[in-house]
Parts: sequence; C-alpha cells; structure tokens
Amino acid sequence: MPRAAILGGARTPFVRAGTLFAELDVLDLARAAAAEALARTETDPRDVDEVVFGNVARPVAYHNLAREVVLALSMPSRIPAFTVGLACASACVAITSAADHIANGTADVVVAGGSESLTNVPLTLSPRFARALIGASQAKSLPAKARSLAEVRAADIAPVAPGIRETSTGLTMGESAERMAAINGIARSEQDEWALRSHQKAAAGWDDGRIAREVGPVYVDGHAVTTDTHIRRDSTLEKLATLPPVFDREHGTITAGNASPLTDGAAAVVLASEAKARELGREVLATIRAYSYAAVDPADQLLIAPAYAIPVALRRAGLSLADIDVFEMHEAFAAQVLSTLKVLEQNGVGAIPLEKLNVMGGSIALGHPFGATGARVILTLANEMKRRGARYGLASVCAAGGNGAAIVLERTA
Amino acid sequence: MITERPAAVPTGADAPPRASVTFVPADAAGVARIVIDRPDDAVNAIDPKMIEDLAAAIAEARAARPRALVVESAKPDQFVGGADLDLVTTANAADLERASRAVQQVFSDLAALPCTVVAAIGGSALGGGFELALACDRRIAADSPSVRVGLPEVSIGLVPAAGGTQRLPRLVGLPRALDLLLAGRRLTARRALRSGLVDEVVHPAVLSRAAAEDALRHGKAAPTGGATPAERAATWLAPARAFALSKARDRVNAETKGHYDAPLRCLDAVATGLAHGMAAGLDAEARAFAALAPTETTQHLIRLLRLTLRQRKAAFDGLGTPRPVERVTVIGLGFMGSGIAQAAAAASALVRGRERDAAAVAKGLSTVRSLTTEAAKKGVFDRREAARIIGRVTGGPDLAGSAHADVVIEAVFEDLATKRRVVAELEDVIRPDAVIASNTSALPIAEIAAGARHPERIVGMHFFSPVHKMPLVEVIRPAAADPEAVATVVALASAMGKTPIVVGDGPGFYTTRVISAMIADAFALVIEGVAVDAIDRAMTDFGWPVGPLKLADEVGLEVGAHAAETVAKARGLAVPGIIATLVAEGFKGKKRGGGFYLYDGKRQTVNPRVYELTGVAPHARETGVAGRLTTTFVREAQRCLEEGILRSEEEGDLGAILGLGFPPFLGGPFTYAEERGIR
Repeated sequence: MPRAAILGGARTPFVRAGTLFAELDVLDLARAAAAEALARTETDPRDVDEVVFGNVARPVAYHNLAREVVLALSMPSRIPAFTVGLACASACVAITSAADHIANGTADVVVAGGSESLTNVPLTLSPRFARALIGASQAKSLPAKARSLAEVRAADIAPVAPGIRETSTGLTMGESAERMAAINGIARSEQDEWALRSHQKAAAGWDDGRIAREVGPVYVDGHAVTTDTHIRRDSTLEKLATLPPVFDREHGTITAGNASPLTDGAAAVVLASEAKARELGREVLATIRAYSYAAVDPADQLLIAPAYAIPVALRRAGLSLADIDVFEMHEAFAAQVLSTLKVLEQNGVGAIPLEKLNVMGGSIALGHPFGATGARVILTLANEMKRRGARYGLASVCAAGGNGAAIVLERTA
Repeated sequence: MITERPAAVPTGADAPPRASVTFVPADAAGVARIVIDRPDDAVNAIDPKMIEDLAAAIAEARAARPRALVVESAKPDQFVGGADLDLVTTANAADLERASRAVQQVFSDLAALPCTVVAAIGGSALGGGFELALACDRRIAADSPSVRVGLPEVSIGLVPAAGGTQRLPRLVGLPRALDLLLAGRRLTARRALRSGLVDEVVHPAVLSRAAAEDALRHGKAAPTGGATPAERAATWLAPARAFALSKARDRVNAETKGHYDAPLRCLDAVATGLAHGMAAGLDAEARAFAALAPTETTQHLIRLLRLTLRQRKAAFDGLGTPRPVERVTVIGLGFMGSGIAQAAAAASALVRGRERDAAAVAKGLSTVRSLTTEAAKKGVFDRREAARIIGRVTGGPDLAGSAHADVVIEAVFEDLATKRRVVAELEDVIRPDAVIASNTSALPIAEIAAGARHPERIVGMHFFSPVHKMPLVEVIRPAAADPEAVATVVALASAMGKTPIVVGDGPGFYTTRVISAMIADAFALVIEGVAVDAIDRAMTDFGWPVGPLKLADEVGLEVGAHAAETVAKARGLAVPGIIATLVAEGFKGKKRGGGFYLYDGKRQTVNPRVYELTGVAPHARETGVAGRLTTTFVREAQRCLEEGILRSEEEGDLGAILGLGFPPFLGGPFTYAEERGIR
C-alpha cells in the first residue's frame, strides 16, 4: 500500500488565549497555517485533493472549518474538506485520515492540520433562557412574546461557559491529572523539573533557529506576530515552587506552571503519496509508517491512553521502543508525561531515553491549542528527524475522553 | 438617428433582415413582451433600425392592450447598449437633433402605454439602454456581475439624448440624479437598488418571470421625485431646486475650469424640465445633444473611449502569444507594490507578496485588505468577491511560495543595484520562462537585466500612482525581450483592468521622458523669472490636473532630478542646478521638507528660497506659459515616436491622457499637435 509522505508544513506562533490573537478567529489561524504550509512546500493549491482539519471548540459559523479554509484561501472550490474531533488529538486524526486516503488511493495530495481559538469559544444560553427566546421569536403577537419572556428569571440569563469536564466522571482534566499523579507517585518537584526542562529546551530551540523554521508569521491588523509568547526564559525551580496548586488546593501538585496553558494557534502539514511527491519533484520529510489510537476508562487514568497506543503502533510498525530515535509527546500536564513514562516501563514497553524526548520543549512551554497540537508534534518530530538524520520517530498525544494517539514516522533518505 | 432607409427589394436569395425588436403577444396571465435582440451586434447598441423596430413593437402593444408588458433582451448578460457611437461621430447637428427627438418620442410612447411596463435588466444597461429602462414604469435587475446601469454620457462630452435628463430626476430626486449624471456613475445591481434606480434584484434565472409578476402586481404610479422629503423638496420646490442646481454648477465649474460644456448643458436640461415641464426639458436635451456632439471636445472624448476599447486588442500588435498567468509574485509591498498585488488578485491571480521582513509584509497585506474593502464599499465588488480577493493574497519575508510564479512584478526601491539583486535572487527560484516585470519609472530595463541568466524574460511594467485609480500601464519592451513575455504582461495588465501601451526601452521610456521634459522646461521658466504658483495656476487653468512644480514636489525632487538627468543625458541637455541645490538644502519634496512649495497642513506657500537661488524677482505674468509647456511636452512625444520609443500616435495620446493627465478634452499630444500644426 502506498505510504503517505509528509512534504513539510508550518504552524502559527502559539500565544496565550485572548492576547495577541484576540481579534482573530479559528479560521484566520487555520488559513494562516495552511497558506504557509502550501507556500513552504511550494504546493500548488490546484494539486490539492482534500483538506482535513481538527478543531475542538466549534463556533457555529465554522462547523466545518476545513472547508472554510479552502474557500477563504480561494483554493479551487472543487476540493472537498471535512473537520474532525478527538479533543487534543484532533489534528492527529486529521493527519492519519489524510494518510489513510493517500494509502487507499482516494487522494494524492492532502493538507491536514488543526486550529484552535479559545478567544471565540461559543458561550451558550441556559436552557430556560434559550427556550424563552425561541418561544418569543416564534410568537405571533406582542403579548404572546412578552409572556414567553416573563418566565425568565435573573439567574437564567447568565451565559454558560463550556466546561472542560468529563461528561462521564464530572471531573475536569486537571482533577483527573491529579489522580494520575497520585496513582503513579509523581511528586510536585518532579513535575516542576519537567516544566523547567520544557521552557529551557523551548527557549534554546528558538534561540538557535530550529523552532523559528517551522513557524510562519501571522499578520494581524498591519502587524506581524512571529514568535511563541508563552515561553518563560526566566523560569526557575524556586519560582515554580511558589505557584499554588490549581485543581486541588489542599493536597494538589498541579500548578499553572507545570500544566499546559490555554492557547490560540494552528498548524498544518502537506501530505502526498510518495509517487506524487516524486512526480512533483518534492523532498519527502518523513512517511507515516504506522499509527494507533487507544482508549481507557476516563474514571481510571484519563490521560494515560498513549501508554497503550504506543505499543500497538510499534507492533504495527514492526519496531520496538529501542528502535525509535526521536520522541515527541504532548505535555498536557507534567504529571501526565511522567505518568506515561512510568506506565510504559511498568508494562514492559520500555524506557524512553529522556535525551530523545521533547528535545525542543513541549506543550507546557510552547502552548497547547487543543485542535492544533497533534499537527505541531508531528511537524516538529519530522523536522527534528531530518536534522538528526534519524530513521524512526514516535509522536503521541493524550486526549479528553480517555483517548490517545501514537504515530510512527520513518525517514529513508 | 432615423435616416431614410431604401425600400428593401427582395432578390430571391435575400431574406429580409431579422427585426431587432419583436412583440410577443400576451400569455395566459395577460403579460406581453417586447424582446430586443439586434442580430448584428452583441451589445444591442441603439441604431435607427432598432428604434424603428421598437416603435413598431410599441404600436403592436398599444393595439393588443395586454394586462402588462415586460421589456427584455434576448441576449444573456446584456440588456441594451447606448447609441451606436459611429453614428454620433458621423452625423451632422441637424440630423442628431432629429434623431434625438425621434428616440425621445418612441420612449415617450412606451411610457404612455396604458398597462404597467417593467424592464427586465439582465446585463449592461448604460446610456440609451438605461433611458429605455427609465421609460418603463418599473425596473427589475438580475443579481449578476454583468449588470451595470447608469447614464455616463457626460463623461464623453455628451448628454443623455432620450429622456434621461428628464426621467432620472423625477425617479430618484434631483440631488441623486445630478450626482449620477455628472459623475457618469455605472452602478451594480445592488447599488442600483439602494439608489432607487431599480425596484428589485433577483436571481438571473428568475428574471423574466419576476418581471412579469411584478408588472401584474403594480399599477402605473407617478414618479415621486425622491425617497425623502428633503430630496422631493429639492426636486419640486423651486427655491430648494435652485439652490441644489446652483451648488452643482459651482462644483462643475471648479472641477472643469470651463473646459467641458456637457455637464453644464446636462444641468440646464434637467433644470428646464423641472421648471417648465417635460416637453421643454426634452427639447433642451435634444438641442444640447446636437450642439455638443460635433464639438472638438466631444469628438476627442469619444475618440479616447474608442481608442481605449480598441487598445485591448491593438496592444498585442507585433507581439507573441501571451502565456497563461495564474500565479503572480509581487516583490515589495510598499505603496505601489500593495496596490499592484491587490489589482492582480482582483484579476483572479493567486498573489504571493514578498517583503524584507514580517512587519513589512503585515503592512502590505493590511493595505491590500483596506484597498479591497474600500472598493467594495464603493460597489466595485460585492462582499463575497472582496473576501475572495483578500483570500488570494498571502505574503512572506522570503521567496517561499514563488517557485511556480508565472509573472513576478518587482516594485522595490528605485535603485539599479537593488533591482539587480532582486533579479539574481529570483532566478535561483523561479522557472526560466517566468516573466520578471519591473515597475521602474526610468531605470533602463536592459540594465536591470544585465547579468541575468535569462534576460529575455525581463520586461518593464510601469504602473502609475495610485495603482487602483490610474488606468494606464506602460509596458516596456527591451530589444532582447521575448515577444511572448511582453504579450504576457500586456494580457496581465488588461486582466487587471488597465489599458496597456507598449514602448521601447529608452531613457525615461515614454511617460517619464515627456513629463520630465515638461517639468524641466517649467524649471527653466522659474529661472527666467515666472512665479512658481503662476506657472502652476496657468497649467491647471489650461486643463492639467496639477501644475508641474507641484508635481515635482509630489514625485519628490530627488526622484525627479534623477529622472530628469536620465532624460537630459540622452538628449545632451543640462539639468538646471537649482534642483540639486534645493535637495542639498533639505528640500526634497512634499513630504520631505518641502520643495518648490512649503507645506503646512493643508496650506502651501511658495518656498522663498527658490527665488533666492534664481536671483530673479518673480513676476506673475502667465501668458503663454501653458502653451509653451504643453508644446514642450508634445514635441518630446513626437521625438519618442520618431525614435521608435512609441509605436503609434494613438498609444502616445492614450499614454499621455491616462497616465499623465494630459487634458483629455484636447485629445492627447499628437491630436493637439496635428490640430495646431506643431512639429
């Protein structure tokens, strides 16, 4: 079966939600990443067969973000596009879906990525207020409209912010992560060390230009935003230690410092069949050798599923953990990364050498736009594999709902 | 224009010519139709035969007494055009007046039909075509980009001659009608709806049915004369009307400086009709039309329109076949570059801009966005097209995304070394047959191309400022250029809505050379002792849009000096030292410390330093100034033609008028020269 090749890609700078990208919406970010990915791979939009995007918070106007990207960039309107959701691993699904279509021959060139703008998270009305408004709009006479609205109480009017609680457990992700930390015995100090590591490596990655190469500018209102804004170059263990726990004030270990922040951003890659890449004369960055999705009971350890997806992906690739040269693991929380490493060892999958893991930092320092992170880790992984002359790489992303993704990349050049 | 037609003698093999207008009897609902379809003309231009056939169809309609009548065109995307311009330029005044009255009568007969008459406008309805629509009771337009309505006759030195000056103010009120008539506006369907020129806008597929249903639902109603009480007062109440007319007259005089009669006669016809009744107004209209048409100004303006239309094909003379252009890269997104990028995107190209850093890209893209939204506000595009245009333009601080460009337009700093560097960088990235077009205004293209690997694809594409307003593109064809490359940018310029002329790669090409010569002569006049503002005033009174010394300030004295040097060197002349001195003293132009004038907010005063440098007390005697400077311009243009820089007098006239503001009513430098015997 033909393999899907990653030709390259780009991401926007990742900025704290509601700051530099406050005037932009999820489509603005998605199209910026897609346009840069197309330009950097010199892909002619007329050669694109499909566009797939991942996105978590869906404004009603953009219920199919990927198609809006096609239209907003004036790409040929004959390009079908669809949008996928697997929480923080949405972009992984976008990329593996694209890879599947290339493998089964239904597409030759696909743009896949993800985007998130928490600035535009839709607020919803309380059900009582919503019913009253709809009733009023449908009522034929003024008195009837007034009657409809008269039933609304003051408390009903407050908008409902979307919660990031698991429906089945009622716990937020942070609360679930605290349980992971407790079950796996991950101390506060270890989490802070991991967070510091993430910031230091991310800063180094920007300073020597490695990260800059995969980030394209976003143009807002006559200005250019060119760098990630969350990285703390002045971070120290002492400073991190002073931060209060956020999810469990009494006994918690997770703070704002050792968790990934709410972020706006987008990332996109261009995939093609190896034959098409040859035909277009394009360099292949890496191919997708194998992937796996796994899921666990959310009440157990919500974010541990990658520990179960990774061995399956390795088996499908015919590899062992020791064969992997570079690893990218999404850092939802430092506790989650450290828990995952522990469980992988406990389950006999192996020990990931830390010097090969998140070599330019991770989501804690760079930021975590929910729908985009899956594309970010794959893009960074592929670029780093090229830099190192590595043969195999592994990316993993945990997701709400107890899901997890693992993708194995290969470079043969 | 009803002339005597010889009786058709059928000779067996000849079938009688198909009628341009047909009457279709009423259908089951009682709606009859008048269908217009000139067999020999794609735009249904109004000619004597069409008017004859229309009169016959109206007579049939009167006899048939349908419940309602729809007037429509059988041509998709085209309603009815204006009068056939050939007839306007060849007939004499008496025939023109007779023709105007005849058409007025036929349209009045249409308006007088007892049933409701609705015009179904599925395409362009300008001039006489819109006057026909105005003679109907109501107008329905298709929501299609091909629909344009309006009465632009004044812009070619004429007035509407078929009742437009009478029916338009009665329909939309005097103030709006004056604006539409005097500016010659052409409105899209939605704009027309908002302005009251049409009553409804529908999907093209249902236009015919919608017009029929509308005609059945509405009776004939007297026109209101405006949408608001204020508009109606300005139309019907004599004192308010007099005030509005007087303000309009003042505005016209200030703008035209007495060089254009048509707007004033149009105003008079409107005023007469509103004061003394429709018959008097129609009479004034017919007389104005007949009086204006044979005048030199009007003949010149009509010729200019004709040349512009013909140039779409004529520009390709002697050139190869243009290559398709789908992707354009623009290097430099400054003032010119962002305008060029926006125009290319409006021509449906995918545009990749390149600037030195992300901040500069951001500014350029922001300019593209604001140019497009402003044009959308003016009705040039609708909202969706504006979004598509903005979506077509991306940019970056390097050449990523440009490998497959078909044309690269460079609009970087006007410096030879910089431009050569840009070319070298491009040749590492783009295809060997991709065209590189320089927006330089005076640097020889051959020198920009020196050292290039593929110099044959390097040409000039000189835009004028501001790009979105100026209709000319001067395409420069170096001797070594591949004719297909030249043809490609000519086609691109046309697609961008510009009129291209093709000139040789001499110093200053054509436009910079002739304007530099004129400005240099203006400098000489200053040195001879004529006051700076007297020179400029003489020129604007003469019909130039801006005086030469003010223009020198606006272009910038350094740029101007450089251009003047280039031209002077080629002609063995000297450049007056006054410029270098002014520049050295920090007077570099309007936005750079002042030049011939000092600028303080909106005020400008002559820079006294100029007179100190000339050492002559200035006098304000303007006699002969404009004539002399215009003659200098004209003689330089003639030299360009002799030297082969210009291909034709027509391109010389077009270039001067469309690019440099040569007074259009004078017809262009070559027409001016011929009419005055200047050699």
